[in-house]
This record gives sequence, structure tokens and C-alpha cells, in this order.
Amino acid sequence: MKLSISRRLALMFAATGFLVFTLLGVVLHGILDRELLRSQRAELKARVDLYTPLIQKNGDPARWHLVQSKLDAAIPGDGRARYWIVGDDPRFRYGETTQGFGAAQGDGYGELELNGSGKPFRTLSRSIGATGERPAVRLVAALDQTPYRETLRVFTIALAGVSLAAMLLVALLGHWIARFGLRPLERLSDEARALSPSKLAQRLHQSTLPPELSELATAFNGALDRLESAYQQLEGFNADVAHELRTPLTNLIGQTQVALSRERGAGDLEEVLQSNLEELERLRAIINDMLFLARADQGLRASNRVEVSLAQEIGRTVDYLEVLLEDAGVQVRVEGDARALVEKSLFGRAVTNLLINAVQHSERGAEIVAEIAPRGDGILVAVHNHGTPIPDEQLPRLFDRFYRLDSARSGSSSNHGLGLAIVRAIATMHGGQVVATSERGVNRFGFTVAA
Amino acid sequence: MKLLIVEDEPKTSAYLHRGLVEQGYAVDVAQNGIDGRHLALEFDYDVIVLDVMLPGLDGLAVLRELRQRKQTPVIMLTARDRIDDRVLGLQAGADDYLVKPFSFLELVARLQALTRRGRNTPVAQLRVGDLEIDLFARKAWRDGQRLELTAKEFALLAALARRQGEILSKTVIAELVWDVNFDSDANVVEAAVKRLRAKLDDPFPQKLLHTIRGMGYVLEAR
Repeated sequence: MKLSISRRLALMFAATGFLVFTLLGVVLHGILDRELLRSQRAELKARVDLYTPLIQKNGDPARWHLVQSKLDAAIPGDGRARYWIVGDDPRFRYGETTQGFGAAQGDGYGELELNGSGKPFRTLSRSIGATGERPAVRLVAALDQTPYRETLRVFTIALAGVSLAAMLLVALLGHWIARFGLRPLERLSDEARALSPSKLAQRLHQSTLPPELSELATAFNGALDRLESAYQQLEGFNADVAHELRTPLTNLIGQTQVALSRERGAGDLEEVLQSNLEELERLRAIINDMLFLARADQGLRASNRVEVSLAQEIGRTVDYLEVLLEDAGVQVRVEGDARALVEKSLFGRAVTNLLINAVQHSERGAEIVAEIAPRGDGILVAVHNHGTPIPDEQLPRLFDRFYRLDSARSGSSSNHGLGLAIVRAIATMHGGQVVATSERGVNRFGFTVAA
Repeated sequence: MKLLIVEDEPKTSAYLHRGLVEQGYAVDVAQNGIDGRHLALEFDYDVIVLDVMLPGLDGLAVLRELRQRKQTPVIMLTARDRIDDRVLGLQAGADDYLVKPFSFLELVARLQALTRRGRNTPVAQLRVGDLEIDLFARKAWRDGQRLELTAKEFALLAALARRQGEILSKTVIAELVWDVNFDSDANVVEAAVKRLRAKLDDPFPQKLLHTIRGMGYVLEAR
């Protein structure tokens, strides 16, 4: 089960409260216990001190009754204090001696349960030296612990009760504090809830947010930025697709209508069909390319990868394009080599597109360089050609679908503006990226593949 | 050559039927998976063209049932260009697949490849009109005159000559001559044909290499 943050905080507060109050209770209980013991002992000591001199001076059996009456008077009516004098000589004793304090019992504090009463007593016994006829005796004073124990019990109960109440209060306050403290979060989620595709430019307000959330909002806004640009690109892409399809469709519909609006000979009709077929092939090429790009977008990876020499593969592609290169009067030089895992047909397709792009932007007699070089943890394959410098901000966009430097759309069927987008898709399928630079009159387009 | 088409889209099955009959095949058509399964199991066909998306019983199910009893070659037609469709189809025992939109010429080429399989008789000499080709010596003559061809030009000519009278699409030619099996923007085949034509046809009155607009090229003596 998932707990809300405020409930979780309240529980944590309650747990902290429990811990603190328990600790406090144990300590207070201990202190009180010790203080009570100390005060009992002090009282016992005072009582023993009070009567010791009397006994010390008295060594005469005839005068022993004085001691006895003094001690009789000293016992309070509730019987909470008692005295005994024990010794070898029965003449010099006091109190019921059934308690069994022998002379052997040592001096000091002790505890004792009085026969019959069931009351716990604390005791202090002290030896008093012999005087006159009196042998050495022992004075024992006892103090009823019951009131002290009662005090401790009441205190403990009160402490537990108060602690429990305080814990509950802390939990409640914690819950309330948490809710109060999390209010900016609620505001943030309200704002986020109000975001919609129809208001793409909307962002979360960061100015009123505490720093912790401000960071979250910044990250969220960053994601919104990326989504917005992807969304716009997608919208643009749809428009571009529609546009690209519209031209051949217009031709198809128009020329078919024209052909059918009159009686035509077989030759004329054949020509219309042939022209239609050309347009249809164009449509097919566009659709196949778009399906290809869509598959790359869906995360399809090159699956038939084999390790090859990239220079050799580029050589094969150059071989394929040989006639075109000769017709354009362009030379291709391959520089460097590396081995990498690539799907040969995809790699060839990417290199073909890069080379064709370079040929289209090269002058007769020019040399195109196909470079193979390690780059990071992959291998870069790039095609260089001398050409018009390309502004920096346009470089990364050249790999976008249907993006053309000159925004005028060329109607040539050989190039529907997906060539470099396909290079990027193939790079992605090989775990790589695309690269474009334009420096000192040399334009360089390429892609990396994971080594 | 007996052929079964299992395809529910009426226009598609109609043109496939017509086109393949004209190519010399005896063609049966089934409009759904259940009829398709019945025909495929009851009769012996040389090839079956099977659509994946079918009412009643889909193409993959038809293929699986067929494979339990027969090894008739099957070409799958799929509209969804998704890798798992191909993998599923090939796993279920399809011999080949074509992704819609496909070209009719490509289908014909694949059908021929499937039916030709296994009986590939090596030929040393080819003859088209007054054109003679020696495939072993890699030489060609017209009217007794030796043609000076580059290696690629010869490969192109040989590919066309081996299938003389057949229209070869640019895609098929690129695959046969350069082993390139992707569509590219490059007009390589056009340019190469132009060069070959300059040596093969331009000096002679009778033209052998013909362009079929929108479809491809054919080598034949007309």
C-alpha cells in the first residue's frame, strides 16, 4: 500500500515522539526512583542518628526502660517507622525479635518484609558498642516503603498517559504540518493537471515554488520543451508527408481524368498508365521510407549484424555508385579502416545516401573523402565534400525528415528529402548518432556505429 | 505451374489473378482463410501467395496448418511492416514474404525464384537476336562483332539476358548486379543501362534493350 507523504510524515513524527517520550519517561522514572531511595535512606539515617547516643550512654538494665519508652514514643501511630534493638543479652533488647535479625547481620541499609503485615520496609542497622553491663547491640530502624512506591506508581502512570497524549498530538500536528508544507506540491499538480496538448506553450510557474520543487518544475518544464518540439516536429512531419503525397496524387488524379475525358487510342492510354506508374512508384518509395523510419523510431535495432571491414563495405558502395560518380565527374577516396558490427545492407544504404548527398553538392572534378575513424567508444563514418558553408543552427536539422536547406521544394522524384533522415535512423539502429559539421568550406556528414 | 492466391482484398486478388494468368500460371483465388486452407490442403499447388490479414482464419494460422501436412512453397503478403510479422511468418514456415505496397514485378520475380529453385541448369551460352553471350569467357558479340564491356556492364547484360523477355525492375537489377537490396534514391540502374545501351544498341539498327516506363527494362529481340 502506498501512503501519502503527509500520512507518512505524520507516522514518522509519531514514531519520533514515541521514541523521545519513552526515553524521557525511562530517565525520569529512574531519577525519581533514586531520589525516593535517597530520601528514605536520609530519613532512616536521621532516625538512627537520633537514638544512637541514647543507647550508647545506657549500660544499666534498670534504666533500659527509658530507651524503650523513648522508642515507643518515636513510633508514629500509622506504624510507618519501627525500631528494634537486638543483642545477646535479653535485658537489652527492644521490639519483637521474631524478625530474626541476629547479631551476625551486618551494618548498613537493607530491606525487609514484616511478618503478617505484608508491607515492604527499608532498614538501616547500626552496631553500638558495649557500655557497662550492656553488651554490644544493634539498632535497626525500618521505614515503610508503601507511600514511596505509591508515589512512583502514580508518577509512572501519569507519565505514560501524558506521553501517549503527547504522541498523538505530535502525530496530528505532524500530519497538519505536512499537509501545510506540501501545499505547494498540490498547487504544482493542479497546474500540471491543467496542461493540455492544445496549450503546448504552457509551462509550470516556478517563481512561487520553494527551491526543492523549483528544481522539479525546471526538469518538468524541460521535458515539456522537448515534448513540444517533438510534437511540433511531428505536426510538421505530418504536413510534410501530406505535401509529399499530394504532388504525385494530384498528377495521378489529374492525368487520369484528362485521359478518360476523351476517347483515346491505346498508345495514349498506355502512356498515361506508364506516367501513373511512375508517380505510384514515387508514392511507394516515400511510404516504404516512412515505414522504415517508423520502425527505427519504434526502437528496432539492426539484427543481422556481422563484423566487417568498413572500408571494404564503403568500397562496395562506391562500386555500386561508380557510374553515377563518373557521370558527375567526382572521385571518392576512402581514408582509414576499422572493423565493426553492422547490418551490411543498412550500412550500405546509409553510406549510399551520404555519398549521393555529397555528389549532389559537389562540383565536377571534385574529390569526396569517406573517412573512417574511431570516435569515443564507436566508429565514425563521415563523408566530406567541398561545398557552400552551412549555418551552424541548420546543421543538426539536416537529418530531420523532409528538411531541405533551400526551403523551396524540389519536385525531383529522385530525392524526396528522406535520405539523411534514413542515415540517422540507421545510425540509431546501430547504437550510434549522426554528425554534421561545416568548416572552412568542407561539409562533413556522417554517423557513428557502436564498435 | 499452378498457383493459389489467398487474399481478401477484391482489387488486389483481381489484379494478381489477371496478371499471373497472363504470366502463364494457372491461378486459383480464395477470399478468406478458411477457403484458402481448404484449397491448399486439398490440391497440389506449385506456390501459394498468402495474405497475413484474412477474415475467418489469419494467414499465419493457415500456414501452420498447411506446414503440418505439406511443404508447398509459400510467399506471405504483409501490410504491417513490422519485424515480428516477418519473423513469425518465417518461423511458421513461409519461404518468402513481401511487404505491401509491393510491386507486381517483384512478386513475379519471387515466384520465379521459388519455382526455379532446385533446377538451376548452368548455361554457358545465351542468345538474344543477333546478340551472343559467353557466360564463362564473359564476352559478348553482336552480329559477330565483339562488344567491349566493363565487368559491371557485362554483369548487367548477363542478368538481363538470363531473363530475356522478362521485365526486370530497377530493384531486381540492383540486387542481381550489385547485390544491393535496398531502395535508394540513386539512379544507378538508369545510368548503367544508358551506358550499356550506348555499346549494345546504339551502333546497331535493331534495338534489344527496351525501357518499360515505370516498370523497368527488358532484353528481347522484337
